Amino acid sequence: MEKVKVATGHLQGCFGCHIAILDLHEDIVGILEAIEIVRSPINDVKEVPEVTLGILDGSVTNTENREVAKRFREKADKILAFGTCACFGGIHGLRNLYPLKDVLKRSYVDSESTINGKIPSSGDIPEMLPHVHAVDQVIKVDYHLPGCPPTPYMIKKALTDILSGKEPELPTKNLCHECVREHKEMYIPKREFITETVTALMELEHIDQKKCFLEQGVLCMGPATREGCDSRCVKGNTPCRGCMGPTPDALEQGAKMINALANILPAGGLMFMEDVVGVGYRYALPVSIYPHVKEDAK
Amino acid sequence: MNIGLFISESEKAISNIIDLQALASDYKNLASVKIFNNLCSSTSIRAVQEEIKTKKLKGVVLAGESPLYYKKIRNGDLLLKTIHEAGINSNMVSFVNLKEQVAMPHRSDPSGATKKAKVLLDVGIEKLRFTHDVETIGVTPKKSVAIIGTTIGGLFAANRLLERGYKVNFIDNASLRDLGDYKAQTMPTLAYVKNHPDASFHERAIKELYGYAGNFRIEFEDYSLRAGGIVVAIDDDLKYTEELYPLLRIERNEQGFFVPIISDTATVETVNPGIVVIPFTKNAPLPHIIALSDSASTLLDSLLSKKEIEHELFVSEVDEKVCGGCGTCIKTCIFHAAELDPIKKLSSTNIKRCVGCGDCVSACPTGARDQISAPTKYLISAIKILAQYQPPNGIKVLYLACEGCGYPSLDYAGKIGVEYPTSVLPLSVKCAGRIDTQLILEAFNEGFQGVVVCKCKDDHCLNIVGNIDLDRRANLFRSVLKSRGISPERLRIFGVSECEGGSCVGSAVEFIGYLKNIGGMA
Repeated sequence: MEKVKVATGHLQGCFGCHIAILDLHEDIVGILEAIEIVRSPINDVKEVPEVTLGILDGSVTNTENREVAKRFREKADKILAFGTCACFGGIHGLRNLYPLKDVLKRSYVDSESTINGKIPSSGDIPEMLPHVHAVDQVIKVDYHLPGCPPTPYMIKKALTDILSGKEPELPTKNLCHECVREHKEMYIPKREFITETVTALMELEHIDQKKCFLEQGVLCMGPATREGCDSRCVKGNTPCRGCMGPTPDALEQGAKMINALANILPAGGLMFMEDVVGVGYRYALPVSIYPHVKEDAK
Repeated sequence: MNIGLFISESEKAISNIIDLQALASDYKNLASVKIFNNLCSSTSIRAVQEEIKTKKLKGVVLAGESPLYYKKIRNGDLLLKTIHEAGINSNMVSFVNLKEQVAMPHRSDPSGATKKAKVLLDVGIEKLRFTHDVETIGVTPKKSVAIIGTTIGGLFAANRLLERGYKVNFIDNASLRDLGDYKAQTMPTLAYVKNHPDASFHERAIKELYGYAGNFRIEFEDYSLRAGGIVVAIDDDLKYTEELYPLLRIERNEQGFFVPIISDTATVETVNPGIVVIPFTKNAPLPHIIALSDSASTLLDSLLSKKEIEHELFVSEVDEKVCGGCGTCIKTCIFHAAELDPIKKLSSTNIKRCVGCGDCVSACPTGARDQISAPTKYLISAIKILAQYQPPNGIKVLYLACEGCGYPSLDYAGKIGVEYPTSVLPLSVKCAGRIDTQLILEAFNEGFQGVVVCKCKDDHCLNIVGNIDLDRRANLFRSVLKSRGISPERLRIFGVSECEGGSCVGSAVEFIGYLKNIGGMA
């Protein structure tokens, strides 16, 4: 059987999603029997050949990313946005809260370790775009697979589905559905907040390994986040940070978390008050309703 | 879907200002478009009925008077009933308020009014794209009435109801009240009621009260009662009124007493068809009180003597594909209507308790919950449409008005002749608790320079906690606005009472002035 030709491309991000493909371990052998990776950052082919599937990780933040994404679209029958950055813009999407000139100044001039810094302006390097975009804000995307990074199981299932001509299905419920922790107080119809205070995880003297984080007064993005990641963080005694993005019926993750949290923890979660944006919009700001700072502001 | 658009000239009150012919010509794609001089006249009602049948309409847009008008006048009610009987579900009727919220307040700006009418009509039609039929259940009315308050009014109402064969349960937090000056005249009635085998007295505090016309459940500490209807007759007992308010959820006046919806023509009716009130009037003559108690008993009798009462389930619905069972709605709902389905481990709605306020819909972090009467996607789409209106001075404000007080007060402003700029674009929401952060962000993203939330005064929310939850969320969504470089001052929240039309509009006009001054975002 002829192998399906696949190209992978890396846009802006940490490269973790490409590494995550290796997390498939021995399963990668089976997948490589079905596909041939004709272009990837690893085999260092620059041009994008004609392929059946193009896999893009990372977000679009500069002119080079935009160009690569467009070439992939031209040459690939189907495009998979691979990982949280590709799907939602990712953590560096938070730079959308600042005008580009401030971002550049902070990075190249004002940063504490910089002496006589200046903003690079040669035509040799790609130009930064004013805002960070998810891949589907730039080109048409056929399939999405969020996760920071997607778990091996998710990757294997998505690739198997795509190779068999099926659309990879994402779960639709929130993380609480697959969370193994016990929910008790959340189910008591009482208007009082669950706890009197909001606590950072490291402030807890004892983390109850079985109890819902919110019920311990710890912020957890689980309620506003899509399930499917096997709740790795929560199982590892760390609250959910929301990398799987919003559920399909929510228009955005941050606003929904605000609405919910306002009735769960005092003052909507005091920490949340201090950093609403960093918590609620950590991964998905570029695809939120109001995706970047107003141009004429600040 | 076949949609009919029926426009009322309202005896020229609308057509003198808005160019209805030009407007109607924009909707030729609809299955039926008709303009009537008076939509509620019997000839119009027959014509509407005919149109629905011949054009096989599935949804109807009534553009003219305020939706509140149809519910308050007899032939308005008849029109709605006729539409319903012709086969249109009540959730597929959409109202566009061209009179009180366009023609009257913008009478000096006919061209602006016509343009604004256009976007409001688009919103009305849009609603039908997102809503679905509301389910109804048939309730066999219980032949018993609970009378809260052993007052003169309560006793006379009991007398009439007992005569008509109803069981009467008196509930009060005290034993028999002081009958004051009318003690002598009331004694025979009191004796009749006290000795009647179908009357009983419960001197206890009500713990819970829920249900709907025909079937209410009233729970005390140790036992519970069922009642088809409720008479509220507690005179000027303010402390008791406050205690009952979260249970009854009927309107109170400025002094804090329970009041009927219209003091002159609907003297005992409340927002809940199964609950009637005998309102307190200082130094009321005895015949006045008796007339009210007669009205109260007649009204309940005409309702409860029916074989079946149709109850529409305008509740919060759960998309089970999306709900993950986090419990946020269970914590949010003051009426205990959001429950955990023990088998599915998902949230479900108790239809006996849900009042459809939409607070849980805002709270739901997944979007699994939605409001049947106004789905989130409709509200978002409505905001997009309203944003298309281009006001002459460039500044436009989204005016989110709650159905309790915000919307009626805006109507009132129109009625008393207050004029304000067309750039105030109203969108009705059920309750302040329905204000989802997503709506506010959408408004700013679509180019509104300011958003007003006009809702009931703090302790007057008919859904009890709508204002509290709006406040809880407001600080958070103000921080989000700030992070996007939008001044939190661009969001204003006003609490008004129904008849403070002047003041709510005044605040909105002042707000526009403020927005002009700070500039930006144009």
